[in-house]
Amino acid sequence: MMSIRNLRKSYGTGEGKVEVLKGINLEIKSGETLALVGKSGSGKSTLLSLMAGLDQADTGEIIINDKNLTTMKENEVTIFRAANMGIVFQQFHLVSTLTALENVLLPLELLKRANAYKTATELLNAVGLYTRGDHLPSQLSGGESQRVAMARALAIRPAILFADEPSGNLDEETGDKVMDLLFTMVAETNTTLVLVTHDTDLAHRCKRVIHLEHGSLS
Amino acid sequence: MIFRFFFIRELKKFPVFFFLLSFTILLGSLGLTGISIVSQEVREKLQSRAHELLTSDFAVTARRDLNPKEKEVLASTFKDIPHDHYRIVDIYSMITHLKAQQSRLAEIRSVEPGFPFFGKITLKEGKFSAEGLFISKDLESLWKVGMGDELQIGEIKIKVAGIVEDDSSLGLRGFSLAPRIYLPLKELERSGLLRPGATGSYAYHYRMPGITPARLSTLKSSIYKDIKDSGVKVVLPEDSSEQTGRVIENLTNFMSLSALIGLILSLVGIFYLYQSHLLARLKDLCLINLYGLSKSAILLGIIGQFSAIFLFVFILQILIIVPAYHLIMPTLSESLGLDLEGGINFKSVLQQLPFLYVLSLSILTPLLLGLMRTPMSTMLKAAKISMGRFRFYDFIPFVLLLWGFAWYLSNSLKTGNIFFFCLVVVFLLSTIIILGAQWVLRRFIAGKGLLMPTIEAGVAFRNLTRSGHKLTLSFLSLAMGATLISLILQLDHMIQGELALDENRPGLFVFDIQEEQIDELTEFSASQGTPLEAVTPMIRARLQNINGKKYVRKKNTSKIRNTREDDEENRQRNTGLNLTYRGYLSPSEKIVEGEPFPVRNSDEERLPLISLEKRWAQRMGLSIGDLVTFDIQGVELEGKVHNIREVKWTSFYPNFFVSVEPGYLDGAPKTYLAVLGAGFKQKKTEFQRSTVMKFPNISFIDVEEMVGKLSTLFQKSRAAIQVISLLSLSVGLVILYGLSHDQVYRRYYDLALMKSLGFSSNRLRLNLIFEFGTLFLGAMGVGLFLGWLMAQLIGKEVFKLPFSVNWAGLLWPGLVLSILCLATILVSSWRAVRAKPRELLSDS
Repeated sequence: MMSIRNLRKSYGTGEGKVEVLKGINLEIKSGETLALVGKSGSGKSTLLSLMAGLDQADTGEIIINDKNLTTMKENEVTIFRAANMGIVFQQFHLVSTLTALENVLLPLELLKRANAYKTATELLNAVGLYTRGDHLPSQLSGGESQRVAMARALAIRPAILFADEPSGNLDEETGDKVMDLLFTMVAETNTTLVLVTHDTDLAHRCKRVIHLEHGSLS
Repeated sequence: MIFRFFFIRELKKFPVFFFLLSFTILLGSLGLTGISIVSQEVREKLQSRAHELLTSDFAVTARRDLNPKEKEVLASTFKDIPHDHYRIVDIYSMITHLKAQQSRLAEIRSVEPGFPFFGKITLKEGKFSAEGLFISKDLESLWKVGMGDELQIGEIKIKVAGIVEDDSSLGLRGFSLAPRIYLPLKELERSGLLRPGATGSYAYHYRMPGITPARLSTLKSSIYKDIKDSGVKVVLPEDSSEQTGRVIENLTNFMSLSALIGLILSLVGIFYLYQSHLLARLKDLCLINLYGLSKSAILLGIIGQFSAIFLFVFILQILIIVPAYHLIMPTLSESLGLDLEGGINFKSVLQQLPFLYVLSLSILTPLLLGLMRTPMSTMLKAAKISMGRFRFYDFIPFVLLLWGFAWYLSNSLKTGNIFFFCLVVVFLLSTIIILGAQWVLRRFIAGKGLLMPTIEAGVAFRNLTRSGHKLTLSFLSLAMGATLISLILQLDHMIQGELALDENRPGLFVFDIQEEQIDELTEFSASQGTPLEAVTPMIRARLQNINGKKYVRKKNTSKIRNTREDDEENRQRNTGLNLTYRGYLSPSEKIVEGEPFPVRNSDEERLPLISLEKRWAQRMGLSIGDLVTFDIQGVELEGKVHNIREVKWTSFYPNFFVSVEPGYLDGAPKTYLAVLGAGFKQKKTEFQRSTVMKFPNISFIDVEEMVGKLSTLFQKSRAAIQVISLLSLSVGLVILYGLSHDQVYRRYYDLALMKSLGFSSNRLRLNLIFEFGTLFLGAMGVGLFLGWLMAQLIGKEVFKLPFSVNWAGLLWPGLVLSILCLATILVSSWRAVRAKPRELLSDS
């Protein structure tokens, strides 16, 4: 489903140049849940950004369902991401001027999916926020915001879901609830999950755990 | 630490912010400083020439010759003071160039030997004396009249003895009604032009070597004590320069208000720039607070930083203005007809500086208070750092200072108030419109999906309704900027239109017609195919009592500067007035309060009824039912105010502040005014010449020529105002960039997010165009409309101008500004739209 070959990424130039990823090779199967763990600065968030097409690699290839992300133009990546990927960020990242319902609706209507409104309402119901649909992000708690973000990420039934420390900004109890929900939904929809986390317990809820150290897989 | 943090590191780290801030302050205050410098120079030049303008140390003037008793007062006042004196009589009359067989109006200054005590009349050839006829070089070029040519003045014929090249007693060249000629006073007396009621001024001038200004003031008081007629005025050198400077003063006051518009826009810009900057720096500010720097020390640092920038900009301004002033000085001297010199006095600029600084600083008050309300120590733990909110009332100090500054700059409580309240009305109307539009839009999008019909538009509509007060403020700033630009353009159009040729306007304005000449002149003009119209008597009078209380000469004892209304009231109180009697309304007047004069029963015993011009009545505090007593050449006439009229003065029909019901003043000594209809352009010159030959004392004003003169004056003022308007517009554009940049900065986070969710760069741009295009077009539409509305109100109330629409003045600025706004948004958002989503998300 996803194949990463000799992926390299560095930041800065000259003496200040830092090589964050040093030739990553990785294969991810469809429906697999994969946890990327590692210390701060090990390059796991950078790897996730490259896999989700949020940034460009220096060299190497990322192939998803036979499409090479690294050779696509920026706009092609954007369109591909909209149709095939869902992303959950650590800081929720909801569009501040859209309500909870509209945030979920956004990726669906962007792809002009049929019954978008109904799907979004159902998803919001599934994450337990049906009554909060017309609330703006500023009126939601952290846990609620993250549940909206998950509903939005899964709305288009993506081939692959990227989650970057999704419970990192939540208290333990809320974090657990949100992660339970995430794993349930991923399982129900058989979505491939790539999860970046520090939390070893959380990582072990995934089928596969990969350690990243100084930009290389160990 | 404060110095290092706020002055060195900040400057190094945010050069763009400091550049934009300095540029905004510079553009906003440049106009005001420039105007201040130029008006100060003109004022000083006129003051330094005060003695030359008056030509003596002391003058006693009246619109009639002094009576024997008044002459006795002067004789006894100056009895023990060594002095020289002469008389000057200034009248406007027709003169005829006999060789060319042409007649035209001239200002005849008739003088006695000794003139001038101060200053110099320089001739092209030869030397000036009070014994010959000398004409101005303007008349020479207009008429091709030269030395030795014969002119007819009244009943005398006299040869030109010289051409005046330079006349130090002229204030602002080009601002006079007609070219000036010098004639010996004894010749004027022979000419037969000094008939009772002739339009002129009689002055007794004195030179008193070694006299002190204090002594002059004592003499002035003493004469005022002994001569009660407020129509007799004592003029000191400083009064003379003040009169001349009033034209410039009024112009600069209005220009200052136009420049204030630029300043307000720049203050909005400063507010936004600092808001964005403080938001970007908030994390660091919270950190230095955490490490021990108190909030008040942080505020002090910000105020100090702003003050330093303000001072730097002020110095920069001076460095720009000094060479610029030298560059425009020749043009300015030419336009004003005043020989300005190289040196610049910064007194007025330095006087203005504290006001400007405090006003500019006051716009930061809401932000500084918002910073004070920020829980800095806990903010670092929050998911998203945000500044404490400022409240509506935080703007009160700024608003009050702005009001005060409008008074100061306009030198008029009335104009300052009108300006300020217009701003308030525009602000309130714009607020109502944007809030109303947001309410309607909210209703429209409720319960609907994002496709309206495109997702870009759907998201844009939501942003427009949910972006809170920042978007409202952007709308208001843009709308107010557009209002002010539109106001300037529309008023300009209206005044231009008013000065354009009007077929209904009379061709000639006739004055100084003696009573016994009326029938003959009417017959004569009818025989020439140009019948006399609007024949109106004019009677010289003096306001004596209001409701039985004596109306006295007002002493100006105030040490502080007078407002324009004070000066106006003093002038009204201290001068006599001309009134008329007529039972009908001229085509250029209408009753706005009260009823027309009723038909009078001949045996009815009652006070005469009086009609007053609206603004004059307001100035004098008169209303319907008030009793007013006039002294008409020694005879008292008491009347009752019966109605109030509005008069369109630019019609050039004979109109008066005071009109008395017919039947009471028919026997009073008077002259007549009349007009001759338009449409006889070719015959106009011939008609004037033949009338003057028959009636030498009658004078004409060529209305077309007069309007042309006014138009030229207006063009000069307009050019100056346009420079200021352009400056304001430039400030507006810089501010626009700041606003757009700020709006995009706030959207960085959402833009990045939408990109990560699948919006391509083009779709993001389209979304921005939808959102800001609607905002800008709305703001422009509202602003341009309100500016037009204000122009109509001001035009109607102040200038009595008819309703008009300058479509080009509405559409072009609207189009240009909207395109510029959108271009600004696209430029500002270029980086955000093109950047990688990861980069933006980490930035946020």
